Amino acid sequence: MGSAVDDAVLDELRAIIGDTDRVLDNVSSRAVRTRVPAPFPVHRWAQHMPDVAVLPTSAEEVSEVVKLANRLRIPIVPRAGGTGLSDGAVPLKGGICVDVKLMNQIHEVDLVDRTVTVGPGINMLKLNERLRPHGVFYPDDPASYPCSLVGGRIGTGGWSLLGSRYGHTRDLVISMEVVLPTGEIVHIGEGGGRKLRKSSTGLTLKHLFTGHQGTLGICTQATLELVPRPETEFAAFFAFSDYMDAWRTTGALTKSGLATLAGVVLFDEWKLRYLRRDDEAYIPQPEDVRAVIAVAMYGRRAEVEPASKIVMELGRENAGRYLGDEISQGDWASRHDRYATPLHGRTLDGQAVPMSWHCEDAALNYSVLPQVREEWHAIVDRYIREYGIFDDWGMFAYTNGAHKPWGDYLVEIDVGIWEQRLDDTNWEAWVRCKREIAEVSLKYGGSITACHGATRAGDAELVPTEMGTSWEVVKRIKRALDPNNVMNPGKQMLDEAYE
Amino acid sequence: MSIFRLGDQRPPEPRRINDDVVMRFDHVYEVDPEKMRVFPQQDLPAWDTERIVAARWDHLDWMHDHFADEVLSTGLGSETMPEEEG
Amino acid sequence: MSDTSSNGHEREFAERWRDNAYGCFSSGHKFCREVCPVMQVTRNENHTPTAFHANIVAMEQGLVTVADVADDFVHCTQCGACELRCPNTLFTGDFYRHRTRTVDVVKAMRALMVETGNERPAWKLWNERLAADHNEPVLGDVPVSQEHVADWADGLDIPIGGETVLFVDCEAAFYRTSYSRAFAQLLQLAGVEFGLMREQWCCGGPAAEMGYADLARKHAEHNVADWRAVGAKRVIAPDPHDYIAFTEDYPALFGDDYEFEIVLGVELIAELVRDGRIRLTHPVERTVTYHDPCRLNKRKGIHEAPRELLRAIPGLTFKDVDRVTQWSYCSGGGGGLPIEKPAITAEIARRRVERASELEVDALISACPWSERPLSDVGALEVMDLFELVAVSAGVTVTA
Repeated sequence: MGSAVDDAVLDELRAIIGDTDRVLDNVSSRAVRTRVPAPFPVHRWAQHMPDVAVLPTSAEEVSEVVKLANRLRIPIVPRAGGTGLSDGAVPLKGGICVDVKLMNQIHEVDLVDRTVTVGPGINMLKLNERLRPHGVFYPDDPASYPCSLVGGRIGTGGWSLLGSRYGHTRDLVISMEVVLPTGEIVHIGEGGGRKLRKSSTGLTLKHLFTGHQGTLGICTQATLELVPRPETEFAAFFAFSDYMDAWRTTGALTKSGLATLAGVVLFDEWKLRYLRRDDEAYIPQPEDVRAVIAVAMYGRRAEVEPASKIVMELGRENAGRYLGDEISQGDWASRHDRYATPLHGRTLDGQAVPMSWHCEDAALNYSVLPQVREEWHAIVDRYIREYGIFDDWGMFAYTNGAHKPWGDYLVEIDVGIWEQRLDDTNWEAWVRCKREIAEVSLKYGGSITACHGATRAGDAELVPTEMGTSWEVVKRIKRALDPNNVMNPGKQMLDEAYE
Repeated sequence: MSIFRLGDQRPPEPRRINDDVVMRFDHVYEVDPEKMRVFPQQDLPAWDTERIVAARWDHLDWMHDHFADEVLSTGLGSETMPEEEG
Repeated sequence: MSDTSSNGHEREFAERWRDNAYGCFSSGHKFCREVCPVMQVTRNENHTPTAFHANIVAMEQGLVTVADVADDFVHCTQCGACELRCPNTLFTGDFYRHRTRTVDVVKAMRALMVETGNERPAWKLWNERLAADHNEPVLGDVPVSQEHVADWADGLDIPIGGETVLFVDCEAAFYRTSYSRAFAQLLQLAGVEFGLMREQWCCGGPAAEMGYADLARKHAEHNVADWRAVGAKRVIAPDPHDYIAFTEDYPALFGDDYEFEIVLGVELIAELVRDGRIRLTHPVERTVTYHDPCRLNKRKGIHEAPRELLRAIPGLTFKDVDRVTQWSYCSGGGGGLPIEKPAITAEIARRRVERASELEVDALISACPWSERPLSDVGALEVMDLFELVAVSAGVTVTA
């Protein structure tokens, strides 16, 4: 594939960026900005490399780079942490990787109006370390909390473990500065003021610019919500011998009306079998621990403590058994780290091999959880037996509604893929497996992605189906904002907007 | 004070816990080495196992403290394995 | 049959390091990034431990050569934060007996760089001088020599040899001599019997870190021969870098033949204070904070003894920062970084001192002489070594 990024373009980029160390066209700089943690076709690595990477330090630099890209019709691929679980940051058509990690400053902390304004390259854990002395907290807490960056959270429309209490990324980002696909630097928020949470002036654009997977622009600054640092954390894990008892209990907990409830997680039977492989909390558990629920609460002790007693009652109502303080607290604390380490992988004859982790993230309603679980496991089981390079690491269902634990669920099936055995045949099989899983989600009125983004093969082809009648609206918006299709082209079937 | 002696670093022989898991050091589970024939294990001296286990607990404690001022406990142990600490 | 045609070296290397590479590459989640001191400064994904491992897979795929990635691999202090923080280590490393080993990967790649004519100029020069003088050129233009390696001990009447040998590293023997004198005098105060080596060469650790594996081996062989020649059974290593060399590098070189007991200096001093053999009687009315040296805290899990000592000093106000927060701290002094990329080391050190200054202390106490140089060079805060501070409280006059 001929590169549109020739020496003349490199010279222009160097003139824009000023510092040649921040315009990187050497092969290693390009190779390491290709994949993200999602399963990757290693054998086709070269096809996915960007032509050059730029490391901007200002919105103006980003704007000029994007204008250049527009003029010359060169693809732009925004990259924050590169920790996404879908392929938002994986170049599909080469181009210029705009890597925003240097834009990681804290620009302002406003303790009066309760906002913090940051660059997109900052990590939430690092941000919160700096906020702690002020008694405030930015509660966007995905399983990638120690490694994902604010820009990527905005791009993917991230989900937070604490979402039932504090909301998710789109609820926690108040406003942002965005470089549009045509290069203009604009303010996007709820109305005009940078620190306003709710407005009805003009058209409310904030939601549109959260979760676009880098296809509508590049965030260069964001103003974020500050919540009071929690006084008290309470976590409780309950074991069930029957998944359906666990499912019913999940319903009871999420509909309990307890305001400090931050999240509820339902672990299915396959997940328990998987955890027994190598998790010290589950290895010694008796055989009749087949499903588990994790509950977490955050807030003032005055509210959490009485609520915790209700949780303990509800958790045990349907033959639930408490796993104890030590496991509850230890396991909950580990949830802020993505824990699917590669050696969880097992071949058909039980050998441990490093497998890459596919984390499905469909959004589904409560009523369909048991059925979807059966259908998904059946699909993965077929592929495991046929190809021998996959593994089923079980399912989680997490509360997904912002401030609404009773809402829908982020439903995850964790599939291990033995990347070292990937070739075109196995990769195509993987894509088919992924598509089958996604089709089940649509069949049951769900969404194929709650938060990762439908940016890879196996998901992307179904975006128009899921969008249904709104797909036309989506295409018009994309074409209107990105007339030259430079902003992360090829993602989410949005190329259709140009047909 | 710990004195480093190479001889002390060899891990003890494993004893079986279940079909998939063995144990060499008290309270530290390990994979059955038979499952690591395709992807071999490393030479992990005793001090390294100790370091990792201690660091894990330190990290989890740190995470609690990072998110909230206190962790509320029920005071209850395991209801699935009541005879153990859980 | 080794293939030395272009990419032959890369493929051999990738074969050897394949499991390590895929252990990381299959994950790629980059929990390492934010704890890495270099990444905090450069924010360049080329310098992530993830990239270090990915480059090996890229080599296997024929996408990159050693020359392509050589500069990337310079960007590491080998502090060990990444490999400890990595969930493959932290959550399952002990279970699978397989952990992330970025330090080993970086060292091995740097050795490959040396073998394939991709040496870094400043490292080349540094190690040429080491090869000639047997100690590191820590005094810049002023040469170091075996003749003067024990000058720091003048007037202390320390014998040569014996069952217990004190190993004093190059930085402490020639540059930060107050450190060595403080430590030796504390041992003498406690009545500990020890001697020096006949010929004390550099431990070889830094050479290994920079990729000069043969030179490192030569030094190790020399030192071990010297220990044996004087009947040493036990080696006291005050400096964390030496402690790592003697408890990791040397056993890897000598295997079961390695019969020595290695004692870490700070743990010995803490025990002597605990046992009352060193009495901390002089109050030190200062407000300090402690820098966990990477090679103690992250690499070895040693963080209690230094804090025990600080808490035992009367009059001292000690504002601590916990050991897990300090996984992302570093002085920038290790892994040869100050030699090839002094500006990055300076910025890493500046940030470390800034963290300390925020606590409103009047000194930053470290337990590693290699960290003390870059931290002191920042100039914003006084930097002392723990042994120097303990010596003050023990009433020992240390004349550098």
